[in-house]
Amino acid sequence: MAMAMSASAPAAASLLPPFPARPRSVSFAALPPSRAAAGLRLGLVGARAGARSVRCLAAAAGGGGAMRETLDKVVGAHKVVLFMKGTKDFPQCGFSHTVVQILRSLDVPFETLDVLANEALRQGLKEYSSWPTFPQLYIDGEFFGGCDITVEAYKSGELQETLEKAMCS
Amino acid sequence: MGVTKEDVESAIAAALSPSHLVVTDTSGGCGASYEIEVVSEKFEGKRLLERHRLVNTALAPHMAEIHAVSIKKALTPAQAQPQPEPAADKPQA
Repeated sequence: MAMAMSASAPAAASLLPPFPARPRSVSFAALPPSRAAAGLRLGLVGARAGARSVRCLAAAAGGGGAMRETLDKVVGAHKVVLFMKGTKDFPQCGFSHTVVQILRSLDVPFETLDVLANEALRQGLKEYSSWPTFPQLYIDGEFFGGCDITVEAYKSGELQETLEKAMCS
Repeated sequence: MGVTKEDVESAIAAALSPSHLVVTDTSGGCGASYEIEVVSEKFEGKRLLERHRLVNTALAPHMAEIHAVSIKKALTPAQAQPQPEPAADKPQA
């Protein structure tokens, strides 16, 4: 698995430079600093939901409403949440790496959760998003897409637009 | 055994009756990674996310054995019409 993915990582990286640098940057003026700070503290699961969510995830491993409820809270706790393989600084998959790079290039604050560190989360999300693969990007509580869609939307400018809207809401 | 390119093709063909379909095995032989280009009328009026969902649904029975699927193109027949080709590359003086 690691081998298959390591092959795609350079490919993904080489995708990035040709993308037009969008002159219009996303505005974050609307984001209260306290919220940003709370985001930074967030280790594994959504802000205030914190410890309780971890328990819920464990309890909801069998699926069902508790998992859905927990994930509602997690994706609602931040404007931009990326469920990925590995972490922001050490993505474990070329596709996850690509999306992290895109979000970084747009200078948007985002939270990541490592699905490799939590099997229940990983399985629960597939169902919650009706999406079989990772990464999964959530913007403003809504599923935006996986890697291919995020790349497409980045190229077309739709991602920047969606992020801008989310940050101002 | 992993999933073959033919498995992927027939699953998509059955679900989407595509007018154009290219499946490329990018796994280097183990059958775990594919790139897909598909043109189908069923994409008409659907956003990219919904189009990808259709492809994902078609592949659902195989997904457990596939590590990576990359949907490179999901177009409607209208979108797939030959784009005006950039004028034949003339060497710049």
